[in-house]
Amino acid sequence: MKLERSATALPAHGWQLLPLRFHRLDADSVVLTNLVGEHVFVTPEELDAVVVGTCTDQELLARLRAAHLIQVPGERLPAELLAIKLRTRMRRLPDSTGLHIFVVTLRCEHTCRYCQVSRQSAVKNEFDMTEETARRALELAFRSPSPHLKIEFQGGEPLLNFPLVRWITAEANRMNKEHGKDLGFVIATNLALLDEEVLDFCAEEKIHISTSLDGPQDLHNGNRRRPGRDSWQQAVAGIRQVQERLGEDRVSALMTTTEASLGRAAEIIDTYAELGLRGVFLRPISPYGFALRGRGGANYDVDRWLEFYAVGLDKIVELNRQGVPMVEIYASIIAKKMLTNTDPGYVDLTSPAGIGIGALVYNYDGDIYASDEGRMLAEMGDRTFRLGSVHGSSYADIMLSDRLLNPLTESITLSAPMCTTCAFEPYCGADPVFHHATMGDFTGHKALSAFCRRNMGVFTLLLRKMRDDPYFRDLMRRWAQ
Amino acid sequence: MSTASGSPDTSAEAPNGAAALDAAETTLAFDQATVDLDALQRSVYAVAGEMTVDIRVCGVDYMCTLFPRRQGTTDDELRHRFRAEVNDQILRVRIAKETEPLRNLVFALAFSQTGLAEAEGSA
Repeated sequence: MKLERSATALPAHGWQLLPLRFHRLDADSVVLTNLVGEHVFVTPEELDAVVVGTCTDQELLARLRAAHLIQVPGERLPAELLAIKLRTRMRRLPDSTGLHIFVVTLRCEHTCRYCQVSRQSAVKNEFDMTEETARRALELAFRSPSPHLKIEFQGGEPLLNFPLVRWITAEANRMNKEHGKDLGFVIATNLALLDEEVLDFCAEEKIHISTSLDGPQDLHNGNRRRPGRDSWQQAVAGIRQVQERLGEDRVSALMTTTEASLGRAAEIIDTYAELGLRGVFLRPISPYGFALRGRGGANYDVDRWLEFYAVGLDKIVELNRQGVPMVEIYASIIAKKMLTNTDPGYVDLTSPAGIGIGALVYNYDGDIYASDEGRMLAEMGDRTFRLGSVHGSSYADIMLSDRLLNPLTESITLSAPMCTTCAFEPYCGADPVFHHATMGDFTGHKALSAFCRRNMGVFTLLLRKMRDDPYFRDLMRRWAQ
Repeated sequence: MSTASGSPDTSAEAPNGAAALDAAETTLAFDQATVDLDALQRSVYAVAGEMTVDIRVCGVDYMCTLFPRRQGTTDDELRHRFRAEVNDQILRVRIAKETEPLRNLVFALAFSQTGLAEAEGSA
């Protein structure tokens, strides 16, 4: 039986608000979000009418009710559904820590402008991890309750200590026979030292390669310097070798935005497309280490990076319209948070923050850091995020230390000023390392925070585009899958 | 006047409970009967990148003096920006108060079934 419209209509004051937050996108457009980030676009007048209870627009009320932004008094189901979705979004929390970064050496034959950690002229072995340190780090990694373990080899250039990469992989596989975890490996390499032996090993162990590609040859080689000035040529040749030998999906690349990158977003993306890379991560430079000393290419502000990001995103959308599949990785992470109840677990966009509980870093000397950025800060003399050492610290010492718990609890967005009422809180993250590095405390003053300004800018851009462009909304849905 | 703000109009020039008092000093007054101090303080925090604000109690008003961080910002721009932020914060405070019991219910439902509470109790 079909109900008459009058039988289902909500009269004025005939509903109650569910927890909602709003953000003004434009003079005539506001986005409302519920506790888990589901969103509806309304006008400012509609927002006022809904909050004061005078709205009688049944189509709007139906949309708001469907998005768990309002409910009929006495209903129980909306709260239960919101609770299920909230729990689903946070289901990774009990399964800490999935990512374990092994810094197998600090040595590197590159001297990148923005690098904080490499030691080009180091005496061999002085900055290499030993088997004993690696063994102790593995024992800690396998204490993690996470059913998924990813071991990422970093440096410096990890292939300069390739024998240890082999040893750790074999040892982890041996230990995993007892633990039965979903175990994976990643080598973060500039590819200059890629050879047949490394390719054979990666093929055998199903290892993923993550590399750096800043864009066209002149831009990349200007940022990433090495003897012979051929970093780009080495990276491109390496990417092609991995694609041919291991498969296109086994190599991904990251770019870092320097001042020289601004104005060249389209060229950068073209470079990726020409190489058959299907994802670009338009990343701003990290506010750590050498990048802050004026010679790292960080002489630009958030607004200039946002302009760069917007141009790059438009270029990527255009490629997709032309039938060239390409993903902007940051937008795809946010798409998951905006359009699904799955949290992708990206360390920078989680609350509680991802430090320690999302990733642990084992430095070459056995020191343990809560994040890679925490390790970079330590290289600059600030050891705030050093949690202990594999030589002497137990798993409980590390995970229950005030050095980890204080930044986690102090920065959580559900209690941080401005974040509590921010419509974008379900999409955003805490990032206590960034705020400690730039503002001197774990929470940071959000109105002055470059992290907040950058992410608010990205969320606003993505929402406006989804509101105005059905193709982009569909693309975001595909990226969210 | 925005009914959502819940603020009476106290001057023809400055809606939403705010009245421009001193052109030389960029000051706004908000009636204490209609504007929560909490909403004002949240507003001050939110606009800290653009201006700093001094709040004083003056009779029945909160007197807010606005200090721009950047040169070239006009008094009118400052006032409009701060008034708009106060209106939004009033709305946010109102929504938060109205929905707090349901928010607590959702969180209670979400985390009462994780097993964490039992594990802690039995430890």
